[in-house]
Amino acid sequence: MFSLFTNPDKKRQKLLEKVENEILKDYLSTPMPDLKLPASEVEFLALDFETTGLDANKEAILSIGCTLIKDGRVKLSENSHHFIQVNREIPPESVVIHKITDDRAQTGEHLHNVLEMLLEKMKGRVLLVHYDKIERNFFNAACKEIYGDAPPLLIVDTLAIAQKRQDKLPQGFTPNSLRLFNLRAAYGLPRYNAHSALEDAIATAELFLAQMANGDGLERVRLKDLLSK
Amino acid sequence: MEIEQLEIREYLETCSPLDKLSAECLDEIVKTLEVAYLRRGKLLLNPGDENQSLYLIRTGALELYDTDGNISAQLSEGDWAGHRSTMLSGIVTRKVMAIEDTLLYVIAAPVFKKLLKEQVPIREYFSERKNERIRSAIKDISNNERSTLISTRVGELSHALPLIVESTTTIKEAANRMTSEHVSALLVMNQGESNIQGIITDREFCTKVVANGLNLEDTVDTIMTRNLITMPSTATASQALLTMARNNIRHIPVLENNIIKSMVTAADIIRQQSDNAVYLINEIHRAKSVEELTSLSKQLAPTLVNLVKSGLNADDTAHSISSIGESIAKRLLRMAEEKLGPPPIPYAFIIAGSQARNEQTAHSDQDNALILSDDYVEEKHDEYFLALAQFVSDGLDACGYIYCPGDVMATNKKWRQPLSVWRSYFKKWIDEPEPKPLMYASIFFDLRCIFGEAQLLEELQTKVYKRTKKSDLFINLMVENALHYRPPLGLFRHFVLEKTGAEQKALNMKKRGVVPIIDLARVYALKAGSHVINTQERLEAAAVAGVLSQEGKADLKDAFEFISTVRLQHQAMQIENGKIADNHVPPEELSSLERRHLKDSFEIVSTLQTAMERLS
Repeated sequence: MFSLFTNPDKKRQKLLEKVENEILKDYLSTPMPDLKLPASEVEFLALDFETTGLDANKEAILSIGCTLIKDGRVKLSENSHHFIQVNREIPPESVVIHKITDDRAQTGEHLHNVLEMLLEKMKGRVLLVHYDKIERNFFNAACKEIYGDAPPLLIVDTLAIAQKRQDKLPQGFTPNSLRLFNLRAAYGLPRYNAHSALEDAIATAELFLAQMANGDGLERVRLKDLLSK
Repeated sequence: MEIEQLEIREYLETCSPLDKLSAECLDEIVKTLEVAYLRRGKLLLNPGDENQSLYLIRTGALELYDTDGNISAQLSEGDWAGHRSTMLSGIVTRKVMAIEDTLLYVIAAPVFKKLLKEQVPIREYFSERKNERIRSAIKDISNNERSTLISTRVGELSHALPLIVESTTTIKEAANRMTSEHVSALLVMNQGESNIQGIITDREFCTKVVANGLNLEDTVDTIMTRNLITMPSTATASQALLTMARNNIRHIPVLENNIIKSMVTAADIIRQQSDNAVYLINEIHRAKSVEELTSLSKQLAPTLVNLVKSGLNADDTAHSISSIGESIAKRLLRMAEEKLGPPPIPYAFIIAGSQARNEQTAHSDQDNALILSDDYVEEKHDEYFLALAQFVSDGLDACGYIYCPGDVMATNKKWRQPLSVWRSYFKKWIDEPEPKPLMYASIFFDLRCIFGEAQLLEELQTKVYKRTKKSDLFINLMVENALHYRPPLGLFRHFVLEKTGAEQKALNMKKRGVVPIIDLARVYALKAGSHVINTQERLEAAAVAGVLSQEGKADLKDAFEFISTVRLQHQAMQIENGKIADNHVPPEELSSLERRHLKDSFEIVSTLQTAMERLS
């Protein structure tokens, strides 16, 4: 019984039987990638959300950016970047971070349209994020609100990978060193403009490639060993 | 999608040759771009494999191997890889390996091929013909800043029709006309002819009429200077200046449709630009004391800045700067003779090194020597020549040409010797070459007489060059010597990677830049039995004699000009920032295009060094 709930693809099949929303149904009809696959054969959708705050139940998604890793390369041809319409005031302290103003947010797209596009892109792929709490919680909240249900997710978290590696170091780590920017710098990756959802998604994708290259390599790592729980 | 805001796009925009593309074209590239990450030690391209990608290094470094498996270049940020195989068969012939963890931006072959087809800058950049690329780069780099001197035509500067007198005019009449018309020069013509025979300037009255005590009723054709140097009215003011500096003249008749229409004088140009070589040389000639010379020599640095900024090429700039040093030395020699009296026996004052080659860029240490006539008797004559050498050497040091650390100066008795002793020196160096004498040999094959009896040097050299051409042992040792300094394999933002792996913060543009070419040129010239010493002239002479291919000559000349230009621009920038000019160029000071052309230049030098090594 327990394994039924922990195997995401079984979960998907189970949910597919009961779900009524057509869009979600369509998404759930594509099998999830085999967990035993080497990471080099998996397609990763690097994803980043900019939000009005941290609490997924109270705050809103402002923008969604994503790009694709396929065959061990980031494919900018698969870039996508969407601003979401938010019909309420954005806290000034968050505007400072993501530079998305009220005006910008009001001219954005409807979340349900963007979510539909995102689900289409997610089919048969694994999500790749940096610090999975934000994307996981906001994605689940959005799905529940729009479709009434949230699909199971396969997520790889570059922060978790870094943390796991740093835990092994005798000197431990500082939370600051786990920030996307600092981790990239540690691998000699260039400085990208932070807090644009697309830019952060690309930055995360590159960090992942660097982490894999500096570990066992994409070919030798299995998907299940990378997944964030 | 707002790709125009992506940092990756911003970066591509700064990379040569993408910086020359339109915004739309750049957007298209970004839309299909891929990003790859390569761990240190991993192969990017493996010979025999297929390659369908063009790679741009964003961070990290790659090592490129030649078909024999030797490292031929190190590539860093902003450099490209994979273009050879993509453009040719699609099959990799040269190994490329990451030597640092490397982030690569990848352009797919179809996109690259479309760019090659449609975009001239892309085609030019990836052209396999290095020499063509450097040549266009020299044009680019020296035309960056257009000053008034390079953009002004002499036709615009010159005066109306110059005064013309007939050759039968007396000296006195000519002087009166010049005074009444307030001109400093006259042209001379034969009666009934339209050809100009010569020119008289105010200097002739001093150097010929007064100095030789001529009769004022003699005709002007006895004192005029024949072999008139003229220029077309379309020549630039900087060309005119250079002609004046090189020929030590101050008046140039200007031609329009091959007819003399006007005259341009040094003063005309000086009015346009005050800190320049001709002006300075003129002042040096007139200086009355060492103190005056010392203060004039301080203008060498601003003059260098002006020459570089005026867009003058590196060869001409170095020639002008060398002329200034030479003028100071000559002036000091005249002062010494005034102080010590006329020399008891003939002598030749010899300069060596960059100044002799006319390749000086700033103040450097002095290298000089005296060749005395074989009438020399030590007890009777040495006191005079030691005093002369001391005066000149001290004066040069005061003017910023510091004492030679290797003591190659006429004040050293070893280098103040009669012709016969110099002959025995050279005989020994050539017949029994040893390391230390060999170092002297390389100094003493770049010699020029700037004062006294030039014939003494010529006599010495005629025998020497006959001997060197025949001595394989000597030539071989000179070859070894010429291969001592190697150009760097690659340029990195913060250091230069050396073959040994040692790190350097800056690139020494002298030792690793111009010296390898100067040394190669010297050996070529020796093989050719040529007497010329200027590096560009040596390369020409070597090509004429057939010891260097035409292609090799053209490539080396371009590489020399390009490296020299980068060095000069660096020095000019330092002077402008109130620093002392040096040869250490930090790679981050260079644009990505300059870095590429420097690498091309280094590769040319490397190739010719290897060729020389194999032949010897």
